Amino acid sequence: MLVQRRTKRGLLIASMVTTVTLIVSALPASALSIYKQDGVSSTTITLGITVPLTGAAAPGYNKVPYAMQAYFNYVNDNGGVNGRKIKLVIKDDAYNPVLAKSVTNDLILKDKVFAIVGSLGTADNEATTRFVNDHGVPRLFINTGFSGFANTVKYPTTYTLLPSYVMEAKIMGQYIKDNFAGKSVAIIYQDDDFGADALKGFAISGTKFIAKIPYASGSQADPTVVGKWISGLAAAKPDVTIMFGVSSASAAALGGSYKVGFKTQWILGSVGGDGTTIATVAGPTAVGLLYGAIGTSFLPAPTDATDPYVAQFQAINQKYNGGAVFDNNVLEGMNTAMLTVEALRAAGSKLTRASLMSAIAKNGSTFASAGFSPLGYSATSHTGYNGYWFGTYGPTGALKPQGGTYTFYTTDSATGAVSKTASKRPVMPEKGLPNN
Amino acid sequence: MLKRRHSPLQRGGFLLVCGVVLLVASNFVDELRSYQGAQVAVYLVAISSIILLTGYSGQISLGHGAIMAIGSYAAALAFTLWNFSFEFAILFGMLVGTLAGFILGVAAARLSGPYLAGTTLALAVGLPSIADQFKVLGGEQGLNFDIGDPPGWIKKFEGSDFTQYKWFFWLMAIVALFVIWAITNLLQSSYGRNWRAARNNPVAASLAGINVVRGKVLAFTVSSALASLAGALFGILLGIVTPSAFPLALSFTILTGAVLAGVGNLAGSIAGAVVLVAIPEFSGALATHLGSSQKLTANLPGLVTSLLLIFVVLFKPEGLLQKNRAKSIKQLNS
Repeated sequence: MLVQRRTKRGLLIASMVTTVTLIVSALPASALSIYKQDGVSSTTITLGITVPLTGAAAPGYNKVPYAMQAYFNYVNDNGGVNGRKIKLVIKDDAYNPVLAKSVTNDLILKDKVFAIVGSLGTADNEATTRFVNDHGVPRLFINTGFSGFANTVKYPTTYTLLPSYVMEAKIMGQYIKDNFAGKSVAIIYQDDDFGADALKGFAISGTKFIAKIPYASGSQADPTVVGKWISGLAAAKPDVTIMFGVSSASAAALGGSYKVGFKTQWILGSVGGDGTTIATVAGPTAVGLLYGAIGTSFLPAPTDATDPYVAQFQAINQKYNGGAVFDNNVLEGMNTAMLTVEALRAAGSKLTRASLMSAIAKNGSTFASAGFSPLGYSATSHTGYNGYWFGTYGPTGALKPQGGTYTFYTTDSATGAVSKTASKRPVMPEKGLPNN
Repeated sequence: MLKRRHSPLQRGGFLLVCGVVLLVASNFVDELRSYQGAQVAVYLVAISSIILLTGYSGQISLGHGAIMAIGSYAAALAFTLWNFSFEFAILFGMLVGTLAGFILGVAAARLSGPYLAGTTLALAVGLPSIADQFKVLGGEQGLNFDIGDPPGWIKKFEGSDFTQYKWFFWLMAIVALFVIWAITNLLQSSYGRNWRAARNNPVAASLAGINVVRGKVLAFTVSSALASLAGALFGILLGIVTPSAFPLALSFTILTGAVLAGVGNLAGSIAGAVVLVAIPEFSGALATHLGSSQKLTANLPGLVTSLLLIFVVLFKPEGLLQKNRAKSIKQLNS
């Protein structure tokens, strides 16, 4: 009897508390203003980024936002953008689409960012698309090469920077035809749109595999999974093995093959080819495992101090980023930040989301950047770079261009041919400070 | 003095009024609060499933996150693959979750205490990773579960600025209120009385003619129906269903919400749900105040939740509303 009455009372309390709680939670809320230009004041532009700072994919990528922040601080110390300082809000998504959705909510609804820049991961960016689209938030220079993001109807505010994975795979397929004709080829790839895009590119290039080994994102941290990759490779005995995943997966594959003495000619995709990250994940001795492997990149080698962009970014890194080890991640972060500053400058002092996107459509193809291929931005295209060069890893883990010079290959995400082109890029602005 | 007992119709009327007040109040709520309100509603349903199971039937589950995953995946599959409307997708998710719960319930009725907890824990650990094994479940990338814009008639009535999150808040708040009404009625019925009797003294209940095993299976099944409903709503709120949406931590989070509420206290489920949604907010503010790193900000909610759980178990084992309940019991005894 007592329990029954308690339950009855529970009902009444539950009902009242539900109502009161949800109403009270509503009280501090201000009027809805989702389509106004959040994130811009007379003194500040607030930008946001989502990246894995924790979890299996964090090594390497966790350096990107701090490199961006360092570059923005450098620009801020030199007058900012049209008198406004840039503030970057960094959120950890752990390379988890669900978390990416949650922290993107926070960026847009709580932090009221003006735009999102350099958000990382194919699945993560896909998970947040609906929300970003609904709010008309520009999503600039995302750190993924999934070719689907080139669809400006589905992703109207999204701008890619990396050449697509289809392009990369097509170029890699052509490279294999030219250099490893008649050799057997295997591939390990991340089993989502990232890897599916790569398989599409290899299919276009006519590359045949004797073994295809997919892995779930994040599972590279599991030694049992890695053991299965290597036993699969050992059974197939490929002459050439392509690793198309993130750097922590490359480290796992190289380490795993070293353990059992499995030998093959490794070709690492650009996303998974950062020597410093591989050394961080698998230990310093793992750098030696890279020796002789082949890699690709669309940016200059981070060790190439003769490159003006690299030299300038290294100086900024020294002063504003605590002298972090200068690798592909730092280079890519600073390059993304530089492009962001150019886009913000091009949008003018009356900065709105519409003026930003209009400025990229109008002037984006002329922005100065460290990448060797021209940028493809226009009124109808939100696609950035379109090509790669090939290099070989030296004994210290540094990727050096084959033949000593950057030979650049370009293509598209469809069935267009792969062509060897002379790299051409705008001259770096003085002191690395955009003057557009 | 004891107050008059309310009929289901009266309770329904009261909750209807609450619902109308909530929907009106949502016009004064910004999008962030709408989202958090929807989160509270989803947690409320999930916590209620634990309270019904543990508080009223005496069975311990550490794996309700897995039941949520079943409901969520089933609903998402029905919506994306078989083109069900979202309403029927939710019901389908609930149906599949209920069936899974029934099967589990049959096994659970043979187990008790730590053995049952261990079995359900194993389910929570293992089940989400099954999604990686089947292409149809979308692997680690998961399934898209975007139910689209609010229905046209709502936009016509509320205006074009009626956002998707506000729509979710409406949907989930109404479902949560309905769940409270349904559970309360159930607990007031002979089923609820039998569950409590079997929980308090299985032997005495059995001697009184109550089928204890059948009662346990039924409680597990009903609880699973609620958990899978929460899972389907959770998937809609996220817009995506992936294995990573249902980690082991989710099962513990729901259980924490129930412990905060007081596992035998349905009213407390509201407090538990609000606390679960408030913890990340509070932790974020604390981390910002301390000027700490993003890594700490990411991990602080887990730490705060764990500390709160330890605190409640040590000092307020009956839940955060202990004082009110004690007072209530005293009044009822007087």
